[in-house]
Amino acid sequence: MEISCLPISASHRAKLLSAGYTTLSSLSSVSPPQLSHLNVALQEAVDILKVSSESCRVEVQDGAVEFCKGAQTAWDMLSEEQALRHISTGSGDLDSILGGGIHCKEVTEIGGVPGIGKTQLGIQLAINVQIPYDFGGLGGKAIYIDTEGSFMAERAYQIAEASILDTFDNFGCQLKEIPEKLKAESFLANIFYFRICSYTEQIALINYLDQFLVEHKDVKIVIIDSVTFHFRQDFDDLALRTRVLGGMSQKLMNLAKKFSLSVVLMNQVTTKFTEGSFHLTLALGDSWSHSCTNRVILYWNGNDRYAYLDKSPYLRPASVHFSVTGKGIRDATSQCKRVRMM
Amino acid sequence: MASIPPKPENPLHLHTTKLTLGCPILDSFLGGGIPCGSITELVGESSAGKTQLCLQLLLSSLLPPSLGGLSSPSLYIYSEPPFPLRRLLRLSLPSLPPRPLDHIFVRPAHSADDLLSLLSHLPDSLPVRLIIIDSIAALFRSEFDNTPRDLKSRSSLFFKIATKLKDRARKLGAAVVVTNHVVDVVEAECGGARCLWSSGRRVVPALGLAWSHCVNTRVFLTRSEGMVRSSNGEECEVRTRRMHVVFSPCSPERSCEFAIVGHGVLGVG
Repeated sequence: MEISCLPISASHRAKLLSAGYTTLSSLSSVSPPQLSHLNVALQEAVDILKVSSESCRVEVQDGAVEFCKGAQTAWDMLSEEQALRHISTGSGDLDSILGGGIHCKEVTEIGGVPGIGKTQLGIQLAINVQIPYDFGGLGGKAIYIDTEGSFMAERAYQIAEASILDTFDNFGCQLKEIPEKLKAESFLANIFYFRICSYTEQIALINYLDQFLVEHKDVKIVIIDSVTFHFRQDFDDLALRTRVLGGMSQKLMNLAKKFSLSVVLMNQVTTKFTEGSFHLTLALGDSWSHSCTNRVILYWNGNDRYAYLDKSPYLRPASVHFSVTGKGIRDATSQCKRVRMM
Repeated sequence: MASIPPKPENPLHLHTTKLTLGCPILDSFLGGGIPCGSITELVGESSAGKTQLCLQLLLSSLLPPSLGGLSSPSLYIYSEPPFPLRRLLRLSLPSLPPRPLDHIFVRPAHSADDLLSLLSHLPDSLPVRLIIIDSIAALFRSEFDNTPRDLKSRSSLFFKIATKLKDRARKLGAAVVVTNHVVDVVEAECGGARCLWSSGRRVVPALGLAWSHCVNTRVFLTRSEGMVRSSNGEECEVRTRRMHVVFSPCSPERSCEFAIVGHGVLGVG
């Protein structure tokens, strides 16, 4: 069925058609935030998708051939529902400036100076993605690609234990007997850990992920910590580096959309000489800054850790104070914490 | 080109071996000791105790794993000759194997390129499980000007050296320890690095932001002097040495006092 036949307003129809959505099936895996890129309000986008999926169901009665168009498997439906959930960072304040947490189907870049907490946040996300569906999480598995060697299993275990306890606390469960699958050991076993030692290994692994994800459909987050490290050595041909990075980011974006998972990339900072003075900026150059849907910058403000939402398709820039504790990433405990909207 | 698909590992089987510093207080301060498989940087001004700690590690790596050692020889690469042999001879640890000096390989490095070439040509069969570079800063002192182009090529060398070191660390299950100097902070901003006070000066590690991204753990050794009134009314100078974890994958920021005595470095507390 064509978009042109959908009972929606003419201006919405025109926007969909000019963006390349011509059939109902092309809308079947689109989420409201993605439609809102087309200058459509979020609520209107939700309505459009609702109308389109209802039209699909009506079509089913038109015969066996039409049956396949727009129909979904139950797995797809569960995936879509999971995709609308966000992955909590462990800090409620940080989650709120991110619109609930890290989004699926999108690539989020997290940059900051050494020691600010990028790896800690990466490990926290690899654990929190596994929080069971019944407890508000995604119940998914994680892929952790370590290029710098900062992943320590003992720390991941500590974070897993704390996250499980806090989840149970939040839901007021009695901790008489924690089921096997909710022990910290299982959480660790659900992280597929890859250690990468060169940029060619990094490219090869990202190319292989498509096949891996087909075999492991329960992976809901791919973390690369850091995506930058192996690219900061001399590439004799800078244009080659830009091409390689561009190809890599395109692949990652496609993986995020195809498998409805979130991709989180850690980036380093560098000093750039502009307008007569040195500024701190994220590494990998200007062309890389277009590669991610969302960008969060972690920085120090005195002795406090702050996170700044620098880029998002539909959220306002804002910064928030958070902390790294023995339990992992958590809200800041000081009384003077506040969320600053820019 | 047919290639073997990469296989993921299970973090449950990824235990990090730690190398003891020869003192239980310092070990627990660092979360068990110096981790293997990553780069630990010891930063401090001259005579802060960096070389002394490194020499102590050369001996502790010879201890058996039951005592926190690695039962392996080590490689000590020095860039500021001469090699501190006399200081090494004065150190001692209980339960060392006989003739410990036979298990310590020593090699000078004259420049950053020399170090890179040295690391590239290390035979895979070399059984060392501790590699020390003392110091990394001296290798970069004279060769590079402050122009953007030189800074860029210097930064590229950092990543090449760090990649080789991490590769060795991973393949050999080795601990890599690198020492670095400090520079005074000139601008009001520290430029991303947080400064510490040592001997009354505000200092940051040398080699800048790019090099900070190359190490996994940074430990800052500081000294401070103060006057203390002793029991007989005299004022005497007290020198405190402190060790600070600036960042580490497995331990929070904290600091602890230590002392350098005749036979080694010990934690106080």
